[in-house]
Amino acid sequence: MTAVDYLNLLISALLLAGIYAAMAVGMTVIYGVMKIVNLAHAGFLMLGAYFAYELFNRFHINPVVGAVLALPFFFLFGMGVHWLLVRWLPKSDTPTLSSLLLMFGFWQVLQNVGYLVWGTEAYSILTPLTISSLRMGQISVPKVSLVVFAAAVVSLVLLQVIMNRSWFGRSMRSVIQNPYAAQIVGVDDEKTARLSFALGTAFAGFAGGLLALLYPFTPDFGPPFLLRSFVIIVLGGLESVSGVALGALILALTETFSINVPFPWYSHGWTSYYLPASYQPAVSFVLLVVALLVLPKGIAGLLEKKWRTA
Amino acid sequence: MADGMKPSRALLGRLLKVFLPLLLLIILAVLPQAGLSANLMRLLFITAVWTIASLGWNLLGGLAGQVSFGFAVFYGLGAYTTALMINAGRSPYFALLGSAAIAVLASFLIGLPTFRLRGPYFAIATIGVGEATRVIMNNLDFSGGASGYRIIEHGTFQPVAHYYTALGAAALAVGVSSIVAGSKFGLALRAIKQDQDAAAAVGVNPYLCKLWVHAVAAALTGIAGGIYARYAAFIYPGGVFAFQTSISILLMPVIGGIGTVWGAVLGGVIFGIVEEELVVNFPNIHLLLYGSLLILIILFEPDGLVGLLRRVARRFRRRSEDSGSSNPDEVLWGRSRLEGREL
Repeated sequence: MTAVDYLNLLISALLLAGIYAAMAVGMTVIYGVMKIVNLAHAGFLMLGAYFAYELFNRFHINPVVGAVLALPFFFLFGMGVHWLLVRWLPKSDTPTLSSLLLMFGFWQVLQNVGYLVWGTEAYSILTPLTISSLRMGQISVPKVSLVVFAAAVVSLVLLQVIMNRSWFGRSMRSVIQNPYAAQIVGVDDEKTARLSFALGTAFAGFAGGLLALLYPFTPDFGPPFLLRSFVIIVLGGLESVSGVALGALILALTETFSINVPFPWYSHGWTSYYLPASYQPAVSFVLLVVALLVLPKGIAGLLEKKWRTA
Repeated sequence: MADGMKPSRALLGRLLKVFLPLLLLIILAVLPQAGLSANLMRLLFITAVWTIASLGWNLLGGLAGQVSFGFAVFYGLGAYTTALMINAGRSPYFALLGSAAIAVLASFLIGLPTFRLRGPYFAIATIGVGEATRVIMNNLDFSGGASGYRIIEHGTFQPVAHYYTALGAAALAVGVSSIVAGSKFGLALRAIKQDQDAAAAVGVNPYLCKLWVHAVAAALTGIAGGIYARYAAFIYPGGVFAFQTSISILLMPVIGGIGTVWGAVLGGVIFGIVEEELVVNFPNIHLLLYGSLLILIILFEPDGLVGLLRRVARRFRRRSEDSGSSNPDEVLWGRSRLEGREL
């Protein structure tokens, strides 16, 4: 492994982190405001991918534009889902079993509707962008990853602006911090919950559209990304956008470097050993369990604690 | 007269609780002799296997309130243990014991770290454990990796032997579940479900209780996996370790009535029949149906089918006599529901 190789790996990990963050942030918003572990997130990601695909295939709309169009579409869809299902759940400060199972049931419905509509065949979106890459000396970056990264970062910055500058964002943050106090100062928690759920769904659809540019997809597209989203929001401390970015970066770095970098291994003398690439999914799940156990409040929580005690 | 009615009524109720299951067991045991069609026997066999796993999950998820999305780990490990032991020339029944032992071992390995987590964090961690196990099993050489493992058992295929094994194990599972549910240990588990801190304050050790009930649940699920593996004669990680398997195991008690022994059995029976019949006739929509059913149950009848039956029975009873006396068996059979309470 030369320095250039490491640099290449680092760049690809950074690009991966962008899309990971966009993918996980919708889940964080919903968890933060409503304390619902949204298992249907996987279904929304899947629908987002097919949304971009159908627009591309039927109307020849650029898939990046398709992913952006998914934002308003899935916003409305999320409001519908909230109106139909989520608002009937009992309110709680902590996640409830009923919310977990309800969203799981809805995920199953979405996934199987997906099977009915699109079948089991894997689809992918191929554009001229997909196979071209940007070369700078020995460093090469796929253009499609760059575009997806840019779209993801712009969307996250926009979300951060909404959270900090708009009344809706302020009411959302107040509900995240303390729902009762928020109600006392006049925040409509029902409306905030509805809009937050819609926003989370919108981001899931958007991220699904972006993911469709990078990976082939089937109606069973969601689970690996759902689990990665979990890892990210757990690492990030469950309820902040910046925490999500940090969690996504850590996951992307771990996934990229764990299988591409040899580590010393003893068998008949010291040699170097590559973790087989097929173990890559296990890496993120092990990271999930470790993160849950060691960092119950995420890395942001850890830093905050250090700060307070220091 | 009215005073004399009550104890006899309670006694009758209790007798029914003991005799009805026994009667059911005897009928099921005699059925093969009465000329059961091969297809029906296969259906009953599958149903019994699912019921065992359902009862196992219900102990941890229903009784102690710890929702696990990772029971495919035990099911799969049980299946692989039985497979490897049968191929090594051991008796299949001894192999089932081995399955239970390995599953218990795995339950400790998983439970020791993850039971330090609460509620949803435990549930999420079990998803991670389950998926990691599947990935690892996909890559292990000695068990055939992702391409699966074939079980070679000499002699002719005897469906009746498989049927009786599954039936016996299901009866065992019902027995164990009833004993645990009715014991002091079961009471402690219910206390943990309702309020872990309050339970700890009155002298229950939540961590240890969860570990033990996890072990019992894992043993039952491992046996179910072993029985299935011996019957199927071919297993692969994408089947027995699949996330879908974990989900199926979780769905059964929720459909039937979470936290109750008969709910778990009812859920297992319905799931087994629906799975077998629907997969054949409508391969595309059976999961759609489960998803919809789950949504309806959560929104309208969190107690599942048992809750629905109870509601119907209560209405019927109220009409015949005007007494709202509490059922003495409610403690034993666990009146518990999915309220908007902490997981």
